[in-house]
Amino acid sequence: MEQEFQIEERSSGDTPVIAVSGEIDVATAPQLRECLHRLVSTGHATIVLDLLGVTFLDSTALGVLVGALKRCREQGGDLHIVIADPRIVKIFEITGLTNVFTIADSLQAAGAA
Amino acid sequence: MSDTGDGLGRGDRIELTFPARGDLVVLARLVASAVAARAGFDIEELEDLRLATNELCMLAMQGSDAQSGALYLELTMHGDAIGAVCTLERAAAAHAPTPEGEEIARLSELILDALVDEHGRESHDGAVRTWLRKQRGEHGA
Repeated sequence: MEQEFQIEERSSGDTPVIAVSGEIDVATAPQLRECLHRLVSTGHATIVLDLLGVTFLDSTALGVLVGALKRCREQGGDLHIVIADPRIVKIFEITGLTNVFTIADSLQAAGAA
Repeated sequence: MSDTGDGLGRGDRIELTFPARGDLVVLARLVASAVAARAGFDIEELEDLRLATNELCMLAMQGSDAQSGALYLELTMHGDAIGAVCTLERAAAAHAPTPEGEEIARLSELILDALVDEHGRESHDGAVRTWLRKQRGEHGA
């Protein structure tokens, strides 16, 4: 059974923490894009993106993350990614994005516990 | 005809046709997973083929009007390998890709490079065809 796609917003101090669960693909990525864009547009230059509940992620999702990272860095901030599932980590590795994003394997390591 | 009892064997072919819409690409992933499981692919290979098939569909739809046309997916057993061909028929004229669209296509290519043995993309007479081939049992080789 597929896990339903969900986005939850909370905060850790002044930093927004976005927790995503389910599958991020061409159908669901626009919701994540809108959420990240809105946060950056409202002055949140640094965001923690918790992908611990994500079960599938494709090139469209990665494109959204790369776009959001650019916007965060233009504002002097960063996009911190939290991933632990080896299948999801592998997708970041094979696309070279482990060298682009700040990646942690837990919210604690990302400073957002 | 199958040569592996209840599983899939050389020459067996599975076809899926669906409207070329992003929200339906999940169908291609589900079929690819099921075929890989019945063909004896291990869980990591199965996950690789699921993602690769998703990217195959994405590359076929790239630059076209994703709300038009039909996406045709054919999975064929070739001994220890699965071949997948994705064809977008009756596609609307392609529009110029956005910078994000170009980045997504580049990421799709990187994913396919890493996960399958061969892949390609061709356009002919308004139809776009993407294809891949993935061998079973390559882990630890």
